[in-house]
Amino acid sequence: MEISARHLENTTIFDVVGDIDLANSPAVRKALLTELREKKIPCVMMNLSSVKYIDSSGIASLVEGLKASRDLQARFVLYGLSKSAKEVLQLSRLIKLFEIYDNEEQALSVNGA
Amino acid sequence: MPRRHLLLRLQLLSNPQVLCGVRGAVSPLASVVGFGEEDCRAITLAVDEAIANIIRHAYAGETGKAIEVEFNQLEEANGGRPGLEIVLVDQGTEPKPGALEGLPPGELRSGGLGLHFMRQSMDTVVHKRVGSTNRLYMVKFVR
Repeated sequence: MEISARHLENTTIFDVVGDIDLANSPAVRKALLTELREKKIPCVMMNLSSVKYIDSSGIASLVEGLKASRDLQARFVLYGLSKSAKEVLQLSRLIKLFEIYDNEEQALSVNGA
Repeated sequence: MPRRHLLLRLQLLSNPQVLCGVRGAVSPLASVVGFGEEDCRAITLAVDEAIANIIRHAYAGETGKAIEVEFNQLEEANGGRPGLEIVLVDQGTEPKPGALEGLPPGELRSGGLGLHFMRQSMDTVVHKRVGSTNRLYMVKFVR
């Protein structure tokens, strides 16, 4: 898995490529929490359009990002979810808790981005 | 009692890096048995979560410990539905009482989802302690 960051005004977009599983979910968690808690970025987005697989450890990392964003009144967005990723989020019954869009354009077009 | 025959046996070492390799084997195998795409993804998720749980809990994160995963094709009696039985064996610590009950999903917490995913993905998930080994049996039949 590779994770890289793009910085827009007040927004960081993480582009994730590959599978998010037990082997690499810690890196996702670390990246999210660094951006939210340390750098205090007001909006963090996860581009998951190149993520074909995510398991419970990956979901757990996203949940930690969501919780941190709520604590800090920041915005945490997911977009580009594959069918597989959506299925796993739906299975967790957490999908409605996340702010999710189909693509980057939609995610950025919402006020506050 | 369904008939059973071995399709694949994997001998792994407890290391999260092996999960992607196992996932690569599971989905095509499930497809061969007759599962559709969605069920193949579900079975792959269940196996991934089961191995991750062994690594994290039975072996407390220790790498280099033995995990065996066996895939058996099942056939219900009288030419019934085909199915897949997956048996995972480890030499790690026995789960604590209640640990395999899982936690209700839907709450904003970062743990406890793996077992829920396994139970939702498979028809049955049964743990047995045999001597000093854990044996986890997961079964799913083609719908």
